[in-house]
Amino acid sequence: MTARPPSLFSRRAAIGFVVVCAALGVLPVVLELSPYAHNQLTFLFITIAGALAWNWMGGFVGQISFGHAAMFGVGAFVAGRLMLSLHLPAPVCWIGGAVVAGVFALGAHPLLKLRGPYFSIATIGVGEAARVVFTYWERFTGGSSGLSLPIDGDLKYQLYWWALVLAAAVAAASVAIRRSSLGLKLLAIKADADAAADVGISATFYQDLIFVLSGAVVGLSGGLYASYLSFIEPADMFGFDRSISFVLTAVIGGVGTALGPVLGAVVFVVVKIYLLASHPDLHLGLYGLLLIGVILFEPLGLTGLLRRLFRGFRRAPGTAGQVKS
Amino acid sequence: MTRLVTRGLTKRFGGLAALDGVDLTLREGEILGVIGPNGAGKTTLFSLIAGSQRPTSGEILLDGRRVTGLPSHRCVRAGIVRTHQIVRPFGNLTVFENVLVAAIHSHRPGSGHARDRAVEVLEFAGLANRMSQYPATLTLAGRKRLELARALSTGPRVLLLDEVVAGVNPTEAMAFAALIRRVRDERGVSVVMTEHVMPAVMSLSDRVVVLDHGKPIAEGTPAEVVANPKVIAAYLGTAAEQAAS
Repeated sequence: MTARPPSLFSRRAAIGFVVVCAALGVLPVVLELSPYAHNQLTFLFITIAGALAWNWMGGFVGQISFGHAAMFGVGAFVAGRLMLSLHLPAPVCWIGGAVVAGVFALGAHPLLKLRGPYFSIATIGVGEAARVVFTYWERFTGGSSGLSLPIDGDLKYQLYWWALVLAAAVAAASVAIRRSSLGLKLLAIKADADAAADVGISATFYQDLIFVLSGAVVGLSGGLYASYLSFIEPADMFGFDRSISFVLTAVIGGVGTALGPVLGAVVFVVVKIYLLASHPDLHLGLYGLLLIGVILFEPLGLTGLLRRLFRGFRRAPGTAGQVKS
Repeated sequence: MTRLVTRGLTKRFGGLAALDGVDLTLREGEILGVIGPNGAGKTTLFSLIAGSQRPTSGEILLDGRRVTGLPSHRCVRAGIVRTHQIVRPFGNLTVFENVLVAAIHSHRPGSGHARDRAVEVLEFAGLANRMSQYPATLTLAGRKRLELARALSTGPRVLLLDEVVAGVNPTEAMAFAALIRRVRDERGVSVVMTEHVMPAVMSLSDRVVVLDHGKPIAEGTPAEVVANPKVIAAYLGTAAEQAAS
């Protein structure tokens, strides 16, 4: 057997990816989408980006965070503040929010000594602490009355493509991380952090790195979401159910798989659209049922289900052990 | 030439000294056996040298450079790598990926491509036809070979083998002994090994150090050590020593 290095992206997959992105890119123009559909797709792209970025930490490293709303909120409010106070162009504000969210995530360094459930519980604390601090920090966040952002109609319309570019970039990055030697190291840390250190891989360094990257991208999606809503308040941005939604989308779609969270995000948004208006209480119940179903029957979520249906799919490196862990 | 030296290496857990002032010298290209009854401090010694734990006092020198208290991933960079008594393969990676991930990380200039080195090490360890399998599908002996291959792929100067032969059948144990000798002869790696399987450690070691209650009580060639009354007493108790004489 020879060891041939697999290329990061297979030619067919890359072409497929570009075609899908291009199709989504021209969709609003070709189909003359209603503003409602236009907005829901924008929301979907933002959700996809967040779910994929959460999965870098929760899936690739295996450290389940219930506190990603903190970075989401920081990204949203920093971007909002930059718009209101400094009148900077929106993309600059979003990136500013992402940078601050990444630095904020680095503050979680002490937590990363914890593993498994201990880490998860600690992240709940961080998320809730962030929510309380930012709710009472009225000069910055406007407190419980929130901030109204100066978003004009043009920007709101263009947000579709910004969000699409973000989601596509994060998806490509997910595949790249997964297939690269970095992805292999993350899987080793996920399997056994101490054994990884014994072959020279510093679990602390790579967990910090991924948490910061994941936090920054979630912060970026928070900034876009703030512009999408044009009104933000801390209780919503930093809410615990927002943290849970990252976990839900990734787990339903297939935690640890490169692109599973995309499927999870689609299900999440579709369920929200169809059930939230008609049966506001039902949609949470349905997420719960989906979660139970995934845990009981298919640990790799919808991705696992699809793989079973299409046996021909090539196995992504390192997904086999996840059934056990 | 001396490769690894420990001076007054001590590790206390509260009032208990798991290791108490151990001076050890490992020469280049040597296989040093460390034996002793259960709880003598063998695994603690390895944990300190490999950086899994920090010593309470004392120092560790690799080729004259202080490596005392470095975290384990830095020890690997420096050239010290350990294997575990209970094997710890990355269960979510294939055999090849297990070795590759270790080879990638410890890339040194001029050591060639990580993939080629991983393949070479797997062939060396006799796992060439198992590359795409998962560790769980290997026998215990296979997983121990994997543990060894993974450690070797980091390109170590000092290899610490913790009970690598224990638990495998006698045929496999013989094969392992031959493999460990080849690690020294063909790869120029200095080896420290602890072992309960006496025939293995006695036939392989150039020198043997005996630990008891965290202190070295004897040192010498295998033949000298097994004849030492202190060693017999530590292992079998004084009554047995009398019975033996």
